[in-house]
Amino acid sequence: MDIKSYIESGIIESYVLGLTTTAETAEVEAMANEHSEIKQAILDFEILLENQANTDLIQPDASVKTNLNKILFTPNLSEKNITSSLFNKVNTAAVHHINLSRYIAAAAIILLVISTCLNFYFYSGYKNSKQQFEALLSQQSTLQANNASYKQSLQMMEDSSMKHIEMKGTPGREQNLATVLWDKNSKDVYLYINNMQQTPAGKQYQLWAIVNGKPVDAGMINDCVGLCKMKKINHAEAFAITLEKEGGSPTPTMDEMYVMGKI
Amino acid sequence: MQELKYNEAELVAMLKQRTQSAFNYLYDNYSASLYTVILSILQDKELANDTLQEVFIKIWRQIEQYNPDKGRLFTWMVNISRNASIDILRSKDYHSQKQNRELTENVYNVAGTVNIETDKIGLRKLISNLKDDQKILIELAYFQGYTQDEISKLLNMPLGTVKTRLRSALIQLRGLLKR
Repeated sequence: MDIKSYIESGIIESYVLGLTTTAETAEVEAMANEHSEIKQAILDFEILLENQANTDLIQPDASVKTNLNKILFTPNLSEKNITSSLFNKVNTAAVHHINLSRYIAAAAIILLVISTCLNFYFYSGYKNSKQQFEALLSQQSTLQANNASYKQSLQMMEDSSMKHIEMKGTPGREQNLATVLWDKNSKDVYLYINNMQQTPAGKQYQLWAIVNGKPVDAGMINDCVGLCKMKKINHAEAFAITLEKEGGSPTPTMDEMYVMGKI
Repeated sequence: MQELKYNEAELVAMLKQRTQSAFNYLYDNYSASLYTVILSILQDKELANDTLQEVFIKIWRQIEQYNPDKGRLFTWMVNISRNASIDILRSKDYHSQKQNRELTENVYNVAGTVNIETDKIGLRKLISNLKDDQKILIELAYFQGYTQDEISKLLNMPLGTVKTRLRSALIQLRGLLKR
């Protein structure tokens, strides 16, 4: 091939300007390796272009150099940041915006969780207090009622028209003690339990009045505060308490007599 | 041509050591000429600045691929710049952005800062001296990145004719460069 006409064909210029096809590029490079004239022709045209490129220069924005130094020489700047550097301004603004909303969202969620926990804590505290308050309230009303009963009992005990009959424990049951208050006028009978053994399950104490030597039912003894009002007894020589089956018996079980007091 | 402190071989060796000072030397001495090449293709200052940034990242990361047997460092960098610019030119974003910008330019034309007389810079200035049929071939091939095959279809001209006319246009161009 005629080297001179090859050089003059315009292929060198095409090659340097990047206008050759892949096949043409390979061809020019092979030719340049073989023929120093071709290599020189390439270099000559490159330098012509380079000199031309250095006339009428326009300077880019100063920000480009700053950005590049930031992108290429900031340690830990990830690959992702570099590739997106072209749209740096917009992206960083968006990223900051997203980060900020993420922080706000995270803070809101944390506050919500804390608030929910506190709600539960305060609510259970409130529930406890309410229960305690109600318990105290009922305790208070019980105590008030008891107090009223005791007050009434005390008045009755101090009443001079009341006859006090102290019933002492029978042999073997000496720790038991109860008192009958018998209204001389109205013949009402009241019982005050000073100290009686706990009744076993299914059993109940029963009060008897001894009238003309015979026991007369004077009522079952229930849990009562202060004085228990019993049946009216017009006449009696003595009172006694026996342990009977629940609901009482028509006649007392004599060997289950706990206390007895004569008038 | 400006006086350079280092020749290309020295500069390439420095760049391969990947120091920040080597990068800044490269940028200080070549950014304006590469920017002018990019601007002559894109004809938009903002896009050209973005593209220049991308081009310097490519140069910095691909310096190991530069082969001095195939040509000068400057030619290699110009080709990277031209390819990156044509990629932008071909992207969808470019067309939508350009439309927006033209709209804005019509409104704010008074300031006159956006418009660049690109016909007066770089190779475009030289090409304005060529005949119209040669001008269009260089415009399509060099500035718009069409292959000769594409140009042949675009201009409804046989491929052989495109090739011959383009090469003769380039020979004319060399003649203008020598002046």
